[in-house]
Amino acid sequence: MMQWTSFVQKAQSLIDPANFTLPTLTSSDRNPSKASLFRQQFRLPDSQNPLQEITAELILPIPHTSTSHGDATRNLDRAGNRYAGRLHLSERFICFSTQPTSFAPSASLGASTHWAGQTNGTGPSGNGFTIPLCCIRRVERLNSLGHVFSLALTTWNGALGKQQNPDFVPQRFTIQLAGSRQACERFCDGLKKGLRECMKEIENLRVVVNDCYSEYLLSGAKAKAQNGETPEARQPPDAGLGMMFRYPGDARKLRDRSKMRLWGEYFRENGRNATLIRQPTFHKLIRVGLPNRLRGEVWEITSGSFYLRLRSPKLYTDTLSKFSGQESLAIDEIEKDLNRSLPEYPGFQSEEGIGRLRRVLTAYSWINAEIGYCQAMNIVVAALLIYMSEAQAFFLLSVLCDRLLPGYYSTTMYGTLLDQKVFESLVEKTMPVLWEHLTKSDVQLSVVSLPWFLSLYINSMPLVFAFRVLDVFFLEGPKVLFQVGLAILRINGEELLDIQDDGSFISVLKSYFSRLDESAHPRSENPKLRAITRFQELMVVAFKEFSQITHQTITEQRDKHKDAVLESIESFAKRTSIRNLGPDSKKLSMDDLGVIYDRYYEVLYDRQQRDKLLEEERRRQQKKRVERTSILGPPVDREIGRVGLGPSPTHMDYDAFRDFLAATAKWAVADSPSPSRKDSTAEQGSFRGWGKTSSLLNSKPEPADHEFMQRLFRKWATDPDEGISLQNVVNGLARLRGPRDIMNNIQYFFDLYDDNGVGMVDREGILRMSEALLFLSRRGFDGTITPTQSVEDIRANENEQDKLSTYERFLGSVSSFIRRCFEYADPSHPESRAAEGQKETDDAADKLGSFSIGDDDEEDLIDVDDGDTKSTSSAVTEKPAKPESENKPNNPQHNRALSQAANPALDPNNPLHITLPTFRMVILADELLEQFFDSFFPQSFRLSDHGLHVLASSSLSSNLTTFSNIGAAKPQLSAVSGASVAGASGGIVPPGKGLRGVLDNIVSDGIRMAAEVKKRMDEAQRELERSALSRADDEEEEDDDEYDTRSGAATASAMAGGISSWGAGVYGADPERRSVRDTDRDLLEGAEVVSMRGKDDASLLLDDDDNGHKDAHNSNPPHDDPHVISKVEFES
Amino acid sequence: MSESTSTNTPKPSSSVKLVLLGEAAVGKSSLVLRFVNNDFQENKEPTIGAAFLTQKCSLPTRTIKFEIWDTAGQERFASLAPMYYRNAQAALVVYDVTKPSSLTKAKHWVAELQRQASPGIVIALVGNKLDLTNDGIDTAGEAPAEADGESAADGEEAAGENQEEQDVASGDARKVPTREASSYAEEEGLLFFETSAKTGVNVVDVFTAIANAIPESSLKSGRGAGAGTGQTSLGSGRPADDSRVNLGERGPATAKEGCAC
Repeated sequence: MMQWTSFVQKAQSLIDPANFTLPTLTSSDRNPSKASLFRQQFRLPDSQNPLQEITAELILPIPHTSTSHGDATRNLDRAGNRYAGRLHLSERFICFSTQPTSFAPSASLGASTHWAGQTNGTGPSGNGFTIPLCCIRRVERLNSLGHVFSLALTTWNGALGKQQNPDFVPQRFTIQLAGSRQACERFCDGLKKGLRECMKEIENLRVVVNDCYSEYLLSGAKAKAQNGETPEARQPPDAGLGMMFRYPGDARKLRDRSKMRLWGEYFRENGRNATLIRQPTFHKLIRVGLPNRLRGEVWEITSGSFYLRLRSPKLYTDTLSKFSGQESLAIDEIEKDLNRSLPEYPGFQSEEGIGRLRRVLTAYSWINAEIGYCQAMNIVVAALLIYMSEAQAFFLLSVLCDRLLPGYYSTTMYGTLLDQKVFESLVEKTMPVLWEHLTKSDVQLSVVSLPWFLSLYINSMPLVFAFRVLDVFFLEGPKVLFQVGLAILRINGEELLDIQDDGSFISVLKSYFSRLDESAHPRSENPKLRAITRFQELMVVAFKEFSQITHQTITEQRDKHKDAVLESIESFAKRTSIRNLGPDSKKLSMDDLGVIYDRYYEVLYDRQQRDKLLEEERRRQQKKRVERTSILGPPVDREIGRVGLGPSPTHMDYDAFRDFLAATAKWAVADSPSPSRKDSTAEQGSFRGWGKTSSLLNSKPEPADHEFMQRLFRKWATDPDEGISLQNVVNGLARLRGPRDIMNNIQYFFDLYDDNGVGMVDREGILRMSEALLFLSRRGFDGTITPTQSVEDIRANENEQDKLSTYERFLGSVSSFIRRCFEYADPSHPESRAAEGQKETDDAADKLGSFSIGDDDEEDLIDVDDGDTKSTSSAVTEKPAKPESENKPNNPQHNRALSQAANPALDPNNPLHITLPTFRMVILADELLEQFFDSFFPQSFRLSDHGLHVLASSSLSSNLTTFSNIGAAKPQLSAVSGASVAGASGGIVPPGKGLRGVLDNIVSDGIRMAAEVKKRMDEAQRELERSALSRADDEEEEDDDEYDTRSGAATASAMAGGISSWGAGVYGADPERRSVRDTDRDLLEGAEVVSMRGKDDASLLLDDDDNGHKDAHNSNPPHDDPHVISKVEFES
Repeated sequence: MSESTSTNTPKPSSSVKLVLLGEAAVGKSSLVLRFVNNDFQENKEPTIGAAFLTQKCSLPTRTIKFEIWDTAGQERFASLAPMYYRNAQAALVVYDVTKPSSLTKAKHWVAELQRQASPGIVIALVGNKLDLTNDGIDTAGEAPAEADGESAADGEEAAGENQEEQDVASGDARKVPTREASSYAEEEGLLFFETSAKTGVNVVDVFTAIANAIPESSLKSGRGAGAGTGQTSLGSGRPADDSRVNLGERGPATAKEGCAC
């Protein structure tokens, strides 16, 4: 009958936003999503979302039992009750509430949050129902007046038993939908779909319902009454320890029987457990206190834990068996408290009670490891177990922790602290005089009220009364705790105005709680008034006088105080954490530690937010409403990641570590955003509600990825697989940023490359070290490295324009670093030919030293220092390519000697290594490298002493020189590096034009060199593998090889340069460039050559000393080297 | 709330807020129970947040009423601690002599108190469970005698001498050498005791020494430190009282009066 519109329906369903968007999941619970409000109001599991809603009228039939239970007035009241309200449909539930709330995507948030019904809050408030779709047996469309769209729903209420009573009347009620025909049809389609999907759940329903005492009450008891003894008279379901050890309080005094009768009546008329319909009587019955045996079941229904149990009835037992025999910290803690949980109740002096308590707490600690176990949970669960079975208590505990008492039992207990703040502010607002008095007497309210909230008054009031509070609490939500708390203070107001300190405050309230059962008006003339107990008075004050305290009030107050509370917890956590960082952390200042701590957790927080958003995006793109796989656990849209909220990740993976480094050191910032990240940010930009986080992420510097950072990661992490902890970071930084100690820094760097921990770094390692040096320095030195004045002076005599920037000179230093490393490396197999080669090298170097004093032809692998114009192109070609070097006008024989010397060092047949003393010597031999390790390297990790925000500014990032755009950005680099380059102000000179171009090429040469050397090694390695026999190959041949391969260098080296991300673009240096260089060379001949000389002299002198050192490097402590440098300064 | 049985002389009386801190299961509650009720038994009242007890301690010149906040030991309750040590004039930081990690935790608490609590707070470092060590057995006999007649000062001296002798304890459950803790306490200017809540050794002495160490100035107003600092802001409630006390100097000096509680 609905077919004619089906086509239209389909089309509409495509347009209707409700059908294809997930409810907006915002990352903050400051703005609770409509979905979560929806779930809260109807106490639905987190898997449910508001799919459809429509204005409707609920029409209840005249109860069939009413005829037998006289009383005409009540009948009239009930007959055919009609309720106008709104009907909601989720994946597995149909809900009706008389409250005009709306959770449709189009609804304003006010319509979702504003609840003004009888209970003023969350929970199944107002009249209506929350019925799982699987409980619906049949839906009929009623033929009624033209425009009225009526559905008759028949439920499984009472029909799930094996045997049906002959006079069984199914529960059936009518709903009139009000809305356009399309809207009604759409709702019905949604309903049909849901019903079909939920059919399979009926078995679960059967199991779960069987545990409900109401089923026994209605069927079993009746059967007994009729037949005396029938198979139907089954054992009553477990209604808690009370069945064994008696329920607290005097059953007669509590009028348990008549309450039970009233409930039986209510259930018969309005359905029970899953199919219960809430009418005003329901709320009244709860307010007067639940009967013992039904208490657990009604708690389950009103709190919504029943729906969790329905979803996975076996979760409790499965969890217990899955983790049986395992141990945990939580279990230890639980064991300690088992004997101290409601010890006054006989059930908890027995093994049975303690065993139940142990199992429920343990199972929950497994299912929610984030909370684990918190003291006070033992008391709450013990109380629950008096009235419910283990499984029921397990699910109810879950609802308590996740929804009713959010954050109360978390590892930071922020929820507890937050609600104390809220409570204090409510007291201040509602009882200003009392508040002022407490403040004046310096009594802190929360020291008294905290246990009220944390253990739900169970530990403060006599049990009977605490359970009465709980009855209402499960129905109406957390605001009940506040209302009761306020009422306690109001009632005791006068006495409290007399108290002077914590002690008297506590004792006033203690004595009040102990007299709750006494008459509130003992001296009253009126016997009715005399009969009112103090507890009744308390309830009246709480719910009448403080009826203005609604869920809304609490939510607003929580929002207001949340930040302050989280901050105070976090500052506490920070203090504690920093204090616990151990002896190494003492090397860093408190400020530094603070900065590290903040940065560390900021990175972790950001990454979590990002992950979460990406996850949401992924889900959104799937356009599927994927139900949560786990039934329990924190709400899906809760806030995550803040330290104050509870357990947050404590370890960084490598990617997070990169973020951290990028926030700490300039060199760890990427040259250009990597493509992958670019994509993801583009995606992120499209998020709705991304807002703040998005801009936050975008302003973050993009981290680089370099082998050096990987090494750092591995070095710092105790267990790289686990990630890197704050402690690791602090220890790592403490070694670098501790007391200034160049030797320590040099050793640290060396250790990073000492892969086997044997105190040796091999050929590969040396090359990687040099790459790292270039990587670290590529963003300039911020003035931490300054060439000695003497050199400057000499330069000043020359053409100002030809001064080299610090950075360029550093390149030179790195090149000589490589050269020297190979020069002074020890052969790994002393007996091999390499030893001889090494000796030759030494000889050559010696000769070289004596020969070249006062001369300028020291060759570096990267020929920045060399004043000779040939150098620019020879940088790469020098050693490997003899032909080209022979073309050089200047001292060819020297070049040859050098390359001869260098070649054996590069021969993979002769494995070699450098040791720490050698490395130290090589570093100290170079002024710039020394400064690098003395100040730049440690200081490049910026802690509290640097304004970091410079980094984030985009203007700087555009200034950052990258290797891929090095030509254009060169002048800025010089500026950044802080070296004074007089001629650089002339503006940007295109590569290949003038001095700047030359320098640019030098830079790329440097990189090419590294790649080249590496490639050569690979080449040679391959060669070695091909013919292990050809050891006798002479050097000429090798050089030829080298020359041949070099022609394809551009591409081959790019491959070899898998070393790092930064190099890739540059390796493709083209032949054209080289030719350009040739012209440059011509241009530069003359003055520049001279200008370089001074410096070369210095470096030559240094080399002399190096050699001297090398000869005796084992005996000579390397810290002699500073003398050498000062000597050089002096002489030059 | 049990009260001291001492005769109520018209001596000036003032109350002192004292907070107990320390790792879980070091015996904080037991110490208080011993002091307040002279009792040792399993504490049936679970500590939610903190337990509150009072006990009077009568000194020759004045009576001190201790308002004792016995905090919960579970780690996660640590973030509630600022609420309890706020405005405290005295703190008992307890560790377990058989558990080195508990001393580390105690040191953290000391550092926390020194930075965050009222300035001039009197801190006592207490190593509990002395009964599990060899010295515990030795001193168990002496303890009552000390508590009976001797002045606290003597007691302290005796304890000091004991410590030296006790240093190399062997073959018992002791894991924290007395000297390690005492030298730390000296460094930080803390009172230091080793106690046994089970046998009662040194328990009363701890509280007496604290009572003596409380500066008169902070007692004048009954609840000197920070009375009237209104808003209860967690962790940041630094009272306006500027009476700083250098414990290192005055600790031993003031510990001359006896306590008859």
